Amino acid sequence: MDPFEVLLEQSAAVHGHLCAGQVVGVRMAMLGCRLIGLEDPTNREQIKKLIVFVEMDRCTADAVAYVTGVKLGRRSLKFMDYGIMAATFVNLETGKSFRVLSTEESRDLADSYAPEIEGKGARQVEAYKRMPECVLFRVQKVKVHLSEFDLPGPTRKKTECHRCGQVIRDNREAIIDGRPVCRPCTEQSYFSHAKEVTWSGMNRTPEPIGREKEDVPC
Amino acid sequence: MLKKIALEEAVGTELAHDITEISENGFKGPAFKKGHRVCDEDVCKLQKLGKNNLYLIDLADDEIHENEAAALLAESLAGAGVVFENTPSEGRINLHAAFDGLFTVNTAALAAFNMTDEVMCATRHTNTLVKKGDLVGGTRAIPLVMKRAPVERAGQVAAQSGGILSVRPLQQMNAGLIITGSEVYNGLIKDRFAPVLKEKIEALGSLVKEIIFVPDDADRIRDALTTHIAAGCDLILISGGMSVDPDDVTRKGIQMAGARDMHYSAAVLPGAMFMSACIGSVPVLGIPACALHHRATVLDLVLPRILAGQKVGKKELALMGHGGLCLNCTECGFPDCSFGLGC
Repeated sequence: MDPFEVLLEQSAAVHGHLCAGQVVGVRMAMLGCRLIGLEDPTNREQIKKLIVFVEMDRCTADAVAYVTGVKLGRRSLKFMDYGIMAATFVNLETGKSFRVLSTEESRDLADSYAPEIEGKGARQVEAYKRMPECVLFRVQKVKVHLSEFDLPGPTRKKTECHRCGQVIRDNREAIIDGRPVCRPCTEQSYFSHAKEVTWSGMNRTPEPIGREKEDVPC
Repeated sequence: MLKKIALEEAVGTELAHDITEISENGFKGPAFKKGHRVCDEDVCKLQKLGKNNLYLIDLADDEIHENEAAALLAESLAGAGVVFENTPSEGRINLHAAFDGLFTVNTAALAAFNMTDEVMCATRHTNTLVKKGDLVGGTRAIPLVMKRAPVERAGQVAAQSGGILSVRPLQQMNAGLIITGSEVYNGLIKDRFAPVLKEKIEALGSLVKEIIFVPDDADRIRDALTTHIAAGCDLILISGGMSVDPDDVTRKGIQMAGARDMHYSAAVLPGAMFMSACIGSVPVLGIPACALHHRATVLDLVLPRILAGQKVGKKELALMGHGGLCLNCTECGFPDCSFGLGC
């Protein structure tokens, strides 16, 4: 793994800006990887052994993903929408799992750790660099229950929704009256009032470059 | 885990903690110590102390008693030059200076420690002079029984940089004084700076190796600095010429002598026109004229820290602003006052 400052600079570039959340995220990821014995997670040997659960969709999450190399599309990054500044690092080979939580008190302590830095944001960035891990984080050893349907690799199961025919992958269907139903057909969907639309020119394909944009439905 | 039992059923059991007595004659302290086996004769006294129930302790593997916790915390808090006796009283352990010196607190780490649930530590102000045996801090765990992990984490916080509390002995330095000012050099007025500076240096256990008088001439000031360094002075105090008059060339002379990390101004009153710099590893302190008129100035805050091996530059001089205001009391009580505390 690259040194902290190198990772921070790269992570901030990918994320779009350097902020306190980036510092916390980079340090959280470095600590988490160290705790589960995968200190070079983007290395080919280690990349398939790691799964990370992030519990927030904030700057910190991007930094954790950058440093660890986990990706949603590879199923190595799991987003748990808890609104908690925490991430859990799982070594699939050993089963070792640690949940690293950013402490609330670290926010109050920024003034003490970098009193000479002007501006709240800059002070937090510097303070979070200076704080030892025991001030910045709490760590829990946890057991993570992963089903075979959560693991990276090919799709393990496909089912058709009994109501709309939509194919559902990896056991994500709901069972209603003993039959598989996709989430949008249940009350648990994030959208509503779905209505299929069409427009002229919807037969386009991505090429060639320079082609004028077609109208799309409002 | 704690189990509450009625007092009359507690006879024959051991007390889980010290039981404090505050008597009419002003005594406050433990009437009974942890581990005391309760007997029939104790019941009446315990009732008078308002105890009708007592705790029995059955510690789980992941729990820790307040006394063991206090010892763990004290061990972590105590850095170099700080000692304690592992004899908790009412759950508290006191920390003391192991020798004379400058007591320092990592205040950020102390704040972090006290933000940890269920533990506390209170200390003297950082950067204060202490004598061997002086009380410098006290720590305790708040509940009688707590989870071990948070206490151990607090211990880690306390152990930052080798312990939050430390006492550093003052080095005996050989100071060179440079008294600038053509009016003094030419004998128009009598110097009053050298005796003041000498007294302050010697009071802290260091020596004045040599005093050089120079006029307001940057070249002569540079030469005096070079002479002191060649003579083996490891600290140089230079007085006069620190203000904004056209004749004030002291800073120029210091610069010409190859000084680095020069910083002019301190957030201290009196002492705003203080200057700190280094020539090689030798600290050079520019003393403004206020040192002549005030018993306590920025020099009294800086000098002990220099002798304790600290670097005092721009950041440190800026942070002195909080508490750096002398109240000009009719009778000066420094250092037993607020001047210099909190920085």
